[in-house]
Amino acid sequence: MADTDDEYVQDISDDEVEAHQVTRGAGGGSRATGQGLRGGGWEVTRTWENVVEGADGTINSTVEGLLEAGKRKRLLKDTTPLQRGIIRHLLLVLDLSTAMSEKDLRPTRYLLTLRYTTAFITEFFEQNPISQLGIIGTRDGLALTISPLSGNPNDHIANVQKLHDQEPKGQPSLQNALDMARAALFHAPTHTTREVLILFGSLISSDPGDVHITISALVKSHIAVQIIGLAAQVAICQTLANRTNPSLPLSQTYTVALNEQHYRDLFMRATTPPTTPQSTKEGNGVQSSLLMMGFPSRIVDPSPTLCACHSRPTRGGYLCSRCSSKVCSLPTQCPACGLTLILSTHLARSYHHLFPLRNWKEVSWAKASVSKQTCCFGCQMPFLDRSTNNHRRQSSGAGGQNHDRIALGMTRGQTKTPKIVPKTQSAASKDGVSESGRYECETCGRFFCIDCDVFAHEVVHNCPGCQSREGILQAQAHGALDIGEMEGLEESQNS
Amino acid sequence: MNAVDGSDHYSKTSDEPPPSLLTIILDTNPNAWALLSPTLPLSAAIANLLVFINAHLAFNNANKVAIIASHTQRAEFLYPLPAHEISPHINGSNTHNGDVEMADGDEPTVAEETSTDDANHYRPFRQIQSTLLTSLSTLLKTTSPTSLTPTTSIAGALTLALTYINRCTLNASTTSPNPTTTTPSDNALNPDTAPPPLHPRILILSVSGDLAHQYIPIMNTIFACQRLSIPIDIAKISGDTVFLQQASDATHGTYIKLEHPRGLLQYLMMGFLPDQSCRGFLVAPTAVGVDFRAACFCHRRVVDVGFVCSICLSIFCSPPEGAICLTCGTHLQLGEYGEKPAVVAKKKKKKRDMVDGKAKEATVRSRPG
Repeated sequence: MADTDDEYVQDISDDEVEAHQVTRGAGGGSRATGQGLRGGGWEVTRTWENVVEGADGTINSTVEGLLEAGKRKRLLKDTTPLQRGIIRHLLLVLDLSTAMSEKDLRPTRYLLTLRYTTAFITEFFEQNPISQLGIIGTRDGLALTISPLSGNPNDHIANVQKLHDQEPKGQPSLQNALDMARAALFHAPTHTTREVLILFGSLISSDPGDVHITISALVKSHIAVQIIGLAAQVAICQTLANRTNPSLPLSQTYTVALNEQHYRDLFMRATTPPTTPQSTKEGNGVQSSLLMMGFPSRIVDPSPTLCACHSRPTRGGYLCSRCSSKVCSLPTQCPACGLTLILSTHLARSYHHLFPLRNWKEVSWAKASVSKQTCCFGCQMPFLDRSTNNHRRQSSGAGGQNHDRIALGMTRGQTKTPKIVPKTQSAASKDGVSESGRYECETCGRFFCIDCDVFAHEVVHNCPGCQSREGILQAQAHGALDIGEMEGLEESQNS
Repeated sequence: MNAVDGSDHYSKTSDEPPPSLLTIILDTNPNAWALLSPTLPLSAAIANLLVFINAHLAFNNANKVAIIASHTQRAEFLYPLPAHEISPHINGSNTHNGDVEMADGDEPTVAEETSTDDANHYRPFRQIQSTLLTSLSTLLKTTSPTSLTPTTSIAGALTLALTYINRCTLNASTTSPNPTTTTPSDNALNPDTAPPPLHPRILILSVSGDLAHQYIPIMNTIFACQRLSIPIDIAKISGDTVFLQQASDATHGTYIKLEHPRGLLQYLMMGFLPDQSCRGFLVAPTAVGVDFRAACFCHRRVVDVGFVCSICLSIFCSPPEGAICLTCGTHLQLGEYGEKPAVVAKKKKKKRDMVDGKAKEATVRSRPG
């Protein structure tokens, strides 16, 4: 394929834009060459080199493979149940210096950061309902509190919205911001995590003293700092991330955003609770403790009464289980007696971090053709037969394959050996993409399509098959599963 | 992908409300229905349900319906049926061209031969009726007496409903002018993107109680519905469950406990027929009180004030024996839990009492910043 610009534009219009972005994302750090190249990612990434012609002479198979790989890549994370710091104290440090007015991230770094911050606050409290968040800004060589540490997303969002009226100016100060963050996290109880997330747009830091002393102090107070750079890698950030997260690789703690989507992904990654490292379990870092919490009931007063948290007259609210003060919203700390007040649903919201759904395995054609499952168990979309594989690759499109006709029996698929299978298999297994388009839950043995795979792991956190399997109730009660027996039962029902 | 070729012109052609997808989860626990049979036998309930489904389909030509059975120990689709299950059930009458069709609302399918009793029956209605009845009888036939339990697998049915809704939403968005190929989680994070091409909702006809053992999976589905703004409506025919109340409360659905199960159809038509776009203009029946209290993991006692393990978030009604969490086995630090009033001086004393060297050092060191 010719490497001319015209050819490239042609590629873009043919391909999915997502496919393009996936490869850019996978390029990882190739953009750290400087600011001049930012606007035109095409100068450094050569997407077209990843596109290989399929056996039928088109590139559709590669494009679809890239699409699936992109979906799948987000899923393939470690799903061993890890001990996580569910109760978090996170301080978000926003760079408000002149570097943030750059327009390389649309519309500007500043406005995009504010927009993502709002989304981040909502998502953070969705994922971590019993955690605390605070926001600090740095401009003119100073650090300023934008929103104090609290558990109320609406307060944070209101405070962040106020920043829209201001302009980024001056230079940032890492040291001042970190000192302020350390002061805010100083009183965090030992059973919580202490985290700082810095969004750093500039390439300099204007500090009053030696920032290394601050870093040492952070290490001493067990504060973990994560940084998302918007321009290029900065040495001091690298040191900071390395020293405060000794057990994590740098790729997880300091990354430079390549584009808007990548920036968002990096930002949202911080909403997942961090794993508790083995070393700190022994008592010097996060400690486990038993917390007293109140589960208040909701009341509706006939006439408005003042709430204890804002002193505003309200009718609805919750009464503290210990001292019966009225608070407007949960989760919160009782302003009178300091008891943590939550709903039991808030606790339940964190359970999927503790008991993650296991990754599903790719299914090979050999296995798929033996099985009797011809459609996705979750959404009933028929799977493609082996013989119709080429046909499927031509009919591109992420969903909507209902109109594909597939052969009824599996016999045709078994006799015919596709030509390009060895090639796609080697390419596919690398990305975690199943050659047959099926993904198997190893516990219940059902096959699912890629969309259900993504949906079940990212949104529902349940396996549809495991939850609706014969005998699951007893299995949950007795803690033992007999998969073979269930498989046999299932087959006898189908036949 | 269409953004490049200028097909944006074709967007926003009509102001019609988007079609709605009604996913009905029918609790088919035979025990509970047997108890109900003097007032509302299952057959009568199904007949009422069919009338309700027909009314839903008649609202808008593009409206869709899916029915999932939440049986004693498994959850299954009753309608639409997966492709491979149709042919064995309907005597193989549709194998004329070797193709398999999804039993979809708009396509002529297999059902025609089975119910020729009423030639004037509107075809989509008849098709749903026959498919539903066939699959339901198959389901009941394959139920063995040994698998009868007083519970029902609501969690599985809800998960199936969600994956099906996800599929339909994806299909609808790829056929609409602005394809959104992002995952649903992205959509949930991007409320400012295009309006949904489909209004999904879930209706649960629940007859059995006690779902405690499925707590975590049910909660997961509830939070998923909340993120995707899918209301869960509950028609509680008998039994009582706290979780379903919480489900409808969290997702802004309707919860109705049927005072007179005999009048099921009336409840369905009045309470559950309006879709999401209509509900803004109506005064929906709401649940009076929702029980938010938690049950402790150790004695299943309902508690106001509980103790929570900071590692696994298990709830206990009193500090467990030896300060070791019963669920995860972690050794827990016990605090004072407000036995003494929280005075500043006391707090300092508490810190000094701790043998931990770090805590001592922390108090000695002056506050930074």
